[in-house]
Amino acid sequence: MATMTLIQAINKALDEEMARDDQVVVFGEDVGKRGGVFLATEGLQQKYGPERVIDTPLSEAAIIGAAVGMAAHGMRPVAEIQFADYVFPGFDQLVSQAAKLRYRSGGQFTAPMVVRMPTGGGVKGGHHHSQSPEAHFAHTGGLKVVVVSTPYDSKGLLKSAVRDDDPVVFMEPKRLYRALKEEVPEDDYLIPIGKAAIRREGGDITLISYGSSMVETLKAAEEMAAAGIQAEVIDLRSVLPWDKETVLNSVARTGRVLMISEAPRMASVASEVTATISEELFDQLLAPPVRVSGFDTPYPYAQDKLYMPTVTRILNAAKRVLDY
Amino acid sequence: MIKDKTAFEPFSLEPIRLLSPEGEWIAPFELDLDEATLKGFYRDMVTARMLDEKFVILIRTGKTSFIAPHAGHEAAHVGIAHAMQRGHDWLFPYYRDMGLMVAMGVPMVEIFGQMLGNAADPAKGRQMPSHPGSKKLNIFTVCSAIASHIPPAAGAAISMKLRRSNQVAVCTFGDGATSEGDWHAGINFAAVQNAPAVFVCENNRYAISVDYAHQTSAHTIADKAHAYGIPGYRVDGLDVLASYYVMHHVIERSRSGAGAALVELEVYRYGPHSSADDDTRYRPKSEVDAARKRDPLVRFRKFLEQRGLWDSAAENKLRTQIAHDLEAALQEAEAAGEAPAEWMFDDVLSRRPWHLEEQRKLVLDELR
Ligand SMILES: Cc1ncc(C[n+]2csc(CCOP(=O)(O)OP(=O)(O)O)c2C)c(N)n1
Repeated sequence: MATMTLIQAINKALDEEMARDDQVVVFGEDVGKRGGVFLATEGLQQKYGPERVIDTPLSEAAIIGAAVGMAAHGMRPVAEIQFADYVFPGFDQLVSQAAKLRYRSGGQFTAPMVVRMPTGGGVKGGHHHSQSPEAHFAHTGGLKVVVVSTPYDSKGLLKSAVRDDDPVVFMEPKRLYRALKEEVPEDDYLIPIGKAAIRREGGDITLISYGSSMVETLKAAEEMAAAGIQAEVIDLRSVLPWDKETVLNSVARTGRVLMISEAPRMASVASEVTATISEELFDQLLAPPVRVSGFDTPYPYAQDKLYMPTVTRILNAAKRVLDY
Repeated sequence: MIKDKTAFEPFSLEPIRLLSPEGEWIAPFELDLDEATLKGFYRDMVTARMLDEKFVILIRTGKTSFIAPHAGHEAAHVGIAHAMQRGHDWLFPYYRDMGLMVAMGVPMVEIFGQMLGNAADPAKGRQMPSHPGSKKLNIFTVCSAIASHIPPAAGAAISMKLRRSNQVAVCTFGDGATSEGDWHAGINFAAVQNAPAVFVCENNRYAISVDYAHQTSAHTIADKAHAYGIPGYRVDGLDVLASYYVMHHVIERSRSGAGAALVELEVYRYGPHSSADDDTRYRPKSEVDAARKRDPLVRFRKFLEQRGLWDSAAENKLRTQIAHDLEAALQEAEAAGEAPAEWMFDDVLSRRPWHLEEQRKLVLDELR
């Protein structure tokens, strides 16, 4: 088994899917000759040629809209948006076309496509290279939304996304691209979309997170363990659909829950998950569900690290929940 | 349909050029710029180049986190700025326009403050480096999202028309930007409104790694103006005098009520796209070397020397002075110190609602 970074796992998934199915095409800004600005598509154009790995003009509307058309026509497009922050010129295509094609045509036309994008902060990118826009997508009926946090998951989930019959927004925390390494099998394996992972078992409190905040969440759980508190840690992996069953089972046992994500707090995935927990487990909760999130400001450059949930911020919030 | 007859012909087959590669004046009209102005152009070009070199040091020493090299764009930058009524007209620039900032007269300490993202940044450290702006000088703060500033430039120009302010909105961007929907939407609207907007493509033939042929099938960017019913000018952007004269002509044409125009300044980017880019992956070194032989600074210096306006003593003196000024400004900016954490919560809205107040308090408590 090879040890891989998250970005290498993405590259491997794309390579394997292109080899498996010749209808899979990869395209986006700089994905061909340069291999992507983060090198997610490195080597693919050399291997599969410029017809299957296409350097596009600088237009997210064209990229996402073209993916819809290709998918409707029978291909399996995997489009790259260079940064999640730049999905917005293509947002209309994602929301008006991709998300609603199956519904508006009564299931006659579909758009099985993947839109990959690096997301999140912590790389000194300022507010147009740091945003976590998953809530925008989750708010749109007709899309699936995945946010990965490990190399192993990235490969298995991306392969599932390519084979999925719906449009999948696939978000990759750029802060983790090269920060983590783990063993990733060479063989073909899939991780189902919509299934959370339990990263750590514990009975005192449930910590729910996804994407890059998993790093700080796991660190906080370790610190809590050192102080004798056993936290169960859930990685949502898919934020739409999110794994309600795994979440509710855990919280029903622990009675205490903290949800951590670096996306802004207002109308967020964290808000959705904690609201659902309150609705469904009101009687079993020992404390109100609490959110630790990014702030409701544009992502600031100078306070790059402070914006994201820090271990201290998570521990302070956990204390509030535990002491309630 | 072009709405007027101009001194410079739009849609010329060859790029408009007034200086030969050897620095000779080859225009069909008399040069009417005085000695001080010509030397001023050169001073700004050299300052821009030396600023670019200084930025490389900033990134190497870890003092800044992102630079977008502008070497090769200096003639275009200086031509654009000096053709404007600086401080009166509005500029809608993009991230590669640091030389333009120099020529517009943005104080060096502000430029460095923005590059450091610290308390010396008039924009309070909000954006990544290479995103300048200045309300005082009517320079719309740069936005990273490519071409997103083009409809706002059109809007400002429409406002200038409606409010009869006698101003012009000048908007710059790269060749890649011309593929975005915003580009077409903005230019079309400005054209329809006959607004005083001048759209300027600094065409360096690459959008990161994507070369011109993969960006557009149009023969030139200037040709695209046909689609909007406005004139399109193709100019040698390594020639500071051509850049200046065409821009001046087009800006004054717009000011006089003739409407929008598109100018393509053909330049070359000598450095990588940004500090995060490795340009050897997509373009041969020989191409860069060949382009360096057409350096706009060398060409203009030859011109000045031929007219007896410049020599190596003047060159040395100028460079020593600029090096000193840059270092002094950098030190002054560094001395301002970090942007305070709570600045993060200012300017989100005109007043802080409860949720931002709560979040601000959380951070202040945490840092206490
Ligand atoms: C909407 C959007 N998409 C993608 C990017 C990422 N990006 C930054 S610069 C760039 C290339 C721009 O090229 P061009 O417009 O030709 O200007 P140049 O950098 O060559 O001066 C890209 C793709 C972005 N900033 N905004």
